[in-house]
Amino acid sequence: MKKSRKIPNLFAYIVLTAVLLVTLFPLFYTVSASFKTNSEILANPAAIFPESPTFQNYIDAWNSDVFDIKRMTFNSIYYTVAIVAATLVTSSMGGYVFARGQFRGKSFWLAAFSLLMFFSMGSVTVYPLLKILNFLHVPKSLPGLMIVRMLGVNIINIYLVRSYVYSLPVGIEEAAEIDGCGFAGIYFRIVLPLLKPIMATIGVLAFQGSWNDYLMPMIFTLSNPKQQPLIVGVVALSNSGESAASYNLVFAGTTIALIPVLLAYAVGNKYFVSGLAAGAVKG
Amino acid sequence: MKVERNTVSKYKSKKYRQNERVSYLMLSPLIIGFLLFSIIPMIWAISMSWCYYDTITTRVVYWDNFRALFQDRSYWNAVGTTLFFAVMKMPIELPLALVLAVLLNRKIRGAGIFRAVYYLPNVISTALVALVFSNIFSYFGVINSALQEWGILDQPIDWFGSKISAMWVIVMADIWKSFGINVLYFIAALANIPEDVYESAMLDGANRIQTFFRITLPMIAPTAQIILMMSLIGTLGTSEMVLVLTNGAPGGSTYTVNAYIFQNYAPGIAGSTVNVGYGCAMSLVTGLMLSGITLIYMRLSAKLKEVY
Repeated sequence: MKKSRKIPNLFAYIVLTAVLLVTLFPLFYTVSASFKTNSEILANPAAIFPESPTFQNYIDAWNSDVFDIKRMTFNSIYYTVAIVAATLVTSSMGGYVFARGQFRGKSFWLAAFSLLMFFSMGSVTVYPLLKILNFLHVPKSLPGLMIVRMLGVNIINIYLVRSYVYSLPVGIEEAAEIDGCGFAGIYFRIVLPLLKPIMATIGVLAFQGSWNDYLMPMIFTLSNPKQQPLIVGVVALSNSGESAASYNLVFAGTTIALIPVLLAYAVGNKYFVSGLAAGAVKG
Repeated sequence: MKVERNTVSKYKSKKYRQNERVSYLMLSPLIIGFLLFSIIPMIWAISMSWCYYDTITTRVVYWDNFRALFQDRSYWNAVGTTLFFAVMKMPIELPLALVLAVLLNRKIRGAGIFRAVYYLPNVISTALVALVFSNIFSYFGVINSALQEWGILDQPIDWFGSKISAMWVIVMADIWKSFGINVLYFIAALANIPEDVYESAMLDGANRIQTFFRITLPMIAPTAQIILMMSLIGTLGTSEMVLVLTNGAPGGSTYTVNAYIFQNYAPGIAGSTVNVGYGCAMSLVTGLMLSGITLIYMRLSAKLKEVY
């Protein structure tokens, strides 16, 4: 019995390790290529390691006029920070209200928010969106999109908070109520401090979503490349005519754009995974 | 009678009123965002489906957009490409994820590391994944030159030169990005199977293969249904991966339906004289088809739930 187990286990390790290597290879190659000179990338693409590793690409990217990485990184950061902060506030309040609030229209709003998951009109809704923003005197810009995202309904976050609040004992809240604490006061003083673990999950998901956001920021910054977030800028550089001459910049830019998410994943792995359902539904 | 009186007084009580006011106040950012940025744009886009609209003039054309749509070759080609993409991708990705999950479900050292690495591509931006894959599969890229060095190829393949090879690159990139999440789901499903079921099967003399098909598969069927559905929704809705990786190359043949609509009707991307109303009709039909497929799938696979 024991002997027959050992061989299949060896087989398991071989398969698992092979998939592991295939998974790591594209990332590893990208990071490694970012330390190569452009001529080395073009002349000898199969080399896994750079011949003489150089930081020049990062220095060039940092000082480039065509590819303003400083500005793009700054754009990505403020866009992401604002959306994460707003998502934490709206989702936690929403989840709390749908769990403990008593008001007419409660199930209507929850159902209405949930329906968004099942039907989408896709990219054509950007036309009316721009009209509405225009009506509110918000120009087509990255901050404009930021406002849209900050007020966006993320039903999965609401469900995450709601079920977390359900799991809290009602006793504490009742005691606070007897002591004269109102519905909002209970949220700020009692519930919010208890929500920390689920807030970490939501924060991580919102960070991932907004840092990685591509299509919408691309549309909103088409006429104003100075507002491009990092990922939009990196893709634009790679699509531009002189991309062959700047492969090295593309690799360096890609690596810089990867670092924040990879770092966050390394530190907060469990929060990414606990929000798994959310990631999957987003596709 | 008593109940009715209770509800009436409940709504009238001062405390209920106050609670209601505060609830709506706390919900107001979401309600404002929902109405302004989701519902009104959606209603606008749906109603524009019966109009001609080129961002300057609007006129009602009744069913003309829909009539034209049903004869639009390039649109139905994109629909076909989307289904083709799902048929190529899902039969590879899901069994692969299940096999990996079954292997990880044994007592494997370093299982946590394997899981963490498999899930890693999921956290990366789809646009960057597409960029990385378009780099490594480019004509002078690492894949071509490695295949040549190993003597598998005589000359480089132009991966984006034919529809089928370009589709394979998209499929590989997409599987690479999302298989990890399915591995984690399958692991969760497998963890729910009680150990003693396997033990009694072993006692009855069942071998590994038999236990897999007779016990494991039926026991994870309900979860597998959800996994399949989410994978299906994600796959049929694909756009960003295609737009960045091939942008339709060669000659627009690899556009999935959402990528096709984006490329031809998104503001700033589309030409300035395009009939947006037609794009809205296209989005409406596409949206209904995608919701419909999901519904049909849920109906059909309800049987899966009853297996155990």
